[in-house]
Amino acid sequence: MNPVLTTCGFCSCGCGLYIESAAADRVASLCPSANHPVSTGRLCIKGWNATPAVLGTDRLTTPLIRKGDRLEPASWGEATSFAASSLKKLISDLGPQSVGIIGSAKTTNEECYSLARLARGVIGTPNIDGACRFYDASIIHALLDTTGIAASQSDMNAVAQAGSLLIAGANVMEQLAHIGSRIEDAADNGCRVVAADPRTSRLAPHVSLFLHPEPGTDLVWARALVKTIIDRRLYVDTVPELPGFEELRASLDEAAGDLKSACGIDADAIAEAAEILAKNPPLVVMFGLGVLQQLHSTQIVKALADVAILLGGSVMPLRGQNNAQGACDLGLVYDFLPGYALLTNPAARKVWEVIWDCRLPAKPGMSAVDMVRACRSGGIKGLLVFGENLALSAPNTEESIAALDKVDFLAVSDLYLTETARLADVVFPACSFLEKDGTFTNIESRVQRVRRAFEPLGDSRPDLDIIADLASALGAEMPRDPRKVMAEIATSVPLYRGISYDKLDESWGHPLRRTLDGAGVKLAPISSSLAEKDDAYPFRLIAGRVNYHQQTGTMSARSAVLAREYPEAYAELNEADAEKLGLRSGRPIMISSKSGSLVRALVLNDSVPPGCVHVPHFFGGDSPNALASYECDPVSGVPAYKACAVKVEAVK
Amino acid sequence: MKASETWVLKKPDALMFFASLANEMRLVAPRYLFGGDVMFGVVDSPKEIAWDYGHDIYPPKRFLLPHFEDMLRYECSPPRRIRLEAVKDAPPQAIVGIRSCDVSAIRFQEKFFGSPIVDPYYKARSDNTVLFSLVCNKPPKRECFCICCDAGPYLDAGFDVQLTDLGDRFLYEIGSEKGERATKPGAYMLAKAGPDDIAERRRIELLADSLFETTAYIAKAINFISADEVPDEIWEELGSTCFRCAACTNLCPVCTCYTVDDRAEADGSFTRCRSWDSCQYAGFTREASGHNPRPTFGSRVQRRFYHKASYQYIMRDGRHGCVGCGRCVSACLTKLGVPDVVKRIRREMHKYLQPQDTVAEV
Repeated sequence: MNPVLTTCGFCSCGCGLYIESAAADRVASLCPSANHPVSTGRLCIKGWNATPAVLGTDRLTTPLIRKGDRLEPASWGEATSFAASSLKKLISDLGPQSVGIIGSAKTTNEECYSLARLARGVIGTPNIDGACRFYDASIIHALLDTTGIAASQSDMNAVAQAGSLLIAGANVMEQLAHIGSRIEDAADNGCRVVAADPRTSRLAPHVSLFLHPEPGTDLVWARALVKTIIDRRLYVDTVPELPGFEELRASLDEAAGDLKSACGIDADAIAEAAEILAKNPPLVVMFGLGVLQQLHSTQIVKALADVAILLGGSVMPLRGQNNAQGACDLGLVYDFLPGYALLTNPAARKVWEVIWDCRLPAKPGMSAVDMVRACRSGGIKGLLVFGENLALSAPNTEESIAALDKVDFLAVSDLYLTETARLADVVFPACSFLEKDGTFTNIESRVQRVRRAFEPLGDSRPDLDIIADLASALGAEMPRDPRKVMAEIATSVPLYRGISYDKLDESWGHPLRRTLDGAGVKLAPISSSLAEKDDAYPFRLIAGRVNYHQQTGTMSARSAVLAREYPEAYAELNEADAEKLGLRSGRPIMISSKSGSLVRALVLNDSVPPGCVHVPHFFGGDSPNALASYECDPVSGVPAYKACAVKVEAVK
Repeated sequence: MKASETWVLKKPDALMFFASLANEMRLVAPRYLFGGDVMFGVVDSPKEIAWDYGHDIYPPKRFLLPHFEDMLRYECSPPRRIRLEAVKDAPPQAIVGIRSCDVSAIRFQEKFFGSPIVDPYYKARSDNTVLFSLVCNKPPKRECFCICCDAGPYLDAGFDVQLTDLGDRFLYEIGSEKGERATKPGAYMLAKAGPDDIAERRRIELLADSLFETTAYIAKAINFISADEVPDEIWEELGSTCFRCAACTNLCPVCTCYTVDDRAEADGSFTRCRSWDSCQYAGFTREASGHNPRPTFGSRVQRRFYHKASYQYIMRDGRHGCVGCGRCVSACLTKLGVPDVVKRIRREMHKYLQPQDTVAEV
């Protein structure tokens, strides 16, 4: 009955908030911590409405096992042994690589780490990946190849004190309110903000120069910006000594054609942006899902990181999920071991073979997207999904649902009976962040404590227990106490060295190292690319999220207040386009791509540029992801959800 | 001991005084949490009371109007039987250490919920609550502007008991019958206040009045707002930076709005719950037809200020709907706290206001 200080489980800002329980599923109080360095006495709309979202009345309270067409309640013993025997059979019949595991960036560091260990160390499959593959995993290789750290180099205060900001492809005011608030503080103090977004976003009142690239052309303008900075010698003096400078310069020689026709931004605007960013240090370069979910997202991130390095600034990837950073840090990545040790590196493998007492295959497994596809083609026979609503978050919804339906064995751990869980053979009822202990790593790489404020609802359990139970049923013992798991992480993952709950309990969290002290920083060459146009699908999709919801809405849509703010799915066109197509406001329109289609009510909004349609995510099976194909960024494997070619027509 | 009498409580006796009171009712008081955070809560022992706290962010209004509240339970069981059960949750309580602004806000809410239709949930709690307010010897934080709202830093009336920290002792003023009754258990520990005590209190008042950093010259803004003279462009400009979090109304000690929700319980029964709601949400005013009389963020900010700063409430309730606690300033992700908006309205209005004769010429 005392208020518990914990870390909000919605976005990656990681606010400190107090929650007090009144009864098993009743909240007595909820308020931000006044002195916490992120929340500073403030919360966003999702934070204020966090409890109805995660303690919804339709929470899963008992395991479920499929009997024919129905999912029927079962005991934990039954569910775990059913899952374990299904897995054992697959492992012995077809080998461990027939099993795939997809984890969640919403679960704790301890759970992410344990899941990576379950996959690689216990089951022995290389097919382990995290939900970040659907969102922001494109930063990993791009930043490791440039700044050397696959994380933000900047913290909240540095944003508030920046001299200039470059913000690309991010609806930051709506999705990461506390970063947005720091951006506003900076702008009020004279910081010059350059934003790049096809649509005019709510950043507008704070922006000095708003660039509106055509969707899918971010690599074109970002490359032009790098070239302008180099051509005008705006970079800091020491830059030519950095490794990669000459390669970068040479890579820019390849002509990009006329800038205005290639991306919709003219060279003068790029020159103005370069001058603003170069002359107003310190610079922070921020980028969100708008550029992280494109066909060339790794190249775009490299170009933006080059901008930061050239101008002596820092980068801050605007990751969405509460523990996106920790999930990637601790091994929910198909081609890395915990702490970004490359799986292809024999020395790194040897280290982890000793720690986990196992043999590690040298070849990286499948990415999350490939695993979903392999469920259809037969390469994956058993899939374990923890806390990710794949049926809505994977691209090509129709194909993906068919794949999840086809796989021989599907186990899902989630709070609710999501669209994915409904397809499962066994469902584990997980409990929310309010009902467990652990840590999250926020957008600034601050490791923060998550503390139990409620007992798990019904028979639900923390994912850590579910993972350890599965390991145990497969013949391996893994710790269930998050404190012990963190102790193991702190001794084996260099990035997290020395972290303990005792220390975390004495402070507002532990900021991880954010810079490489110069050594290891290098500039990356940037190749050119031009978006192709398809006459059959003349519109470009701008997919985005609204203020009130997160991801597929599994949690946020359960808050009556949040759901009330966004009661009807809509799509936005500008007036001229609507007139040309003979479409009327409020009427249903069909948006279709090569992969799928959806119907939305039309809203006219002139902040949507000509030739584009803005489709915000909705919940309940209606996601613009349905329009995306399986086409992915070749380096990171992140699907090209953004800038998809679509056509728009009236529903007859 | 009578209302309007003034006494002195020695600090070493305060522990025993409130321990005696705790036999009669629960004590709600400020407590230190992690890292200097303060929150009002039910204390097990008066030792936990953070007498030196500055200001909390989560207003104690929630002990009368809970953030989340169960109102009643019902069950529909065949054949055609409906069982209704009221939830009674109004324990006798003393809110100790509450600031003058929050006392003023609760008095406002009591009027609001008391007429013309009585809200039984609020009334049950307010009848059972006695307020021991604590004078601010100096404004606890930069954002405080109660002095501009006639709500602090000390009260002349409206408290049940008012305490002033005089160093080694509290000045103990009784302001109501409820205060008289709550004084009884520990009355033997009080001594009559002398002229020195009153003089010291007077010195503290004068000093506190002089230390405010934030000012909101709210009267002029009230004129503009009440006369509906503030153009839509100003409201829309204000609304353009709103983050839509609703902290300004959640944390406003005066705000009274709530939403009602029926919750399906695991045993098949239902609970009717209410929780704080906000006029800053689009769904708050959207009608079933889809029409929304407050369709834009600017129009919703405007609505909020029609409640915070207009004649309407002064005429009906004797004060405007703001007590100057400053929570809307510190909780806002942008700059839409009352003093900021008041300042921007006053300054922006100069662009729109022309001397009368100039207008006539045009």
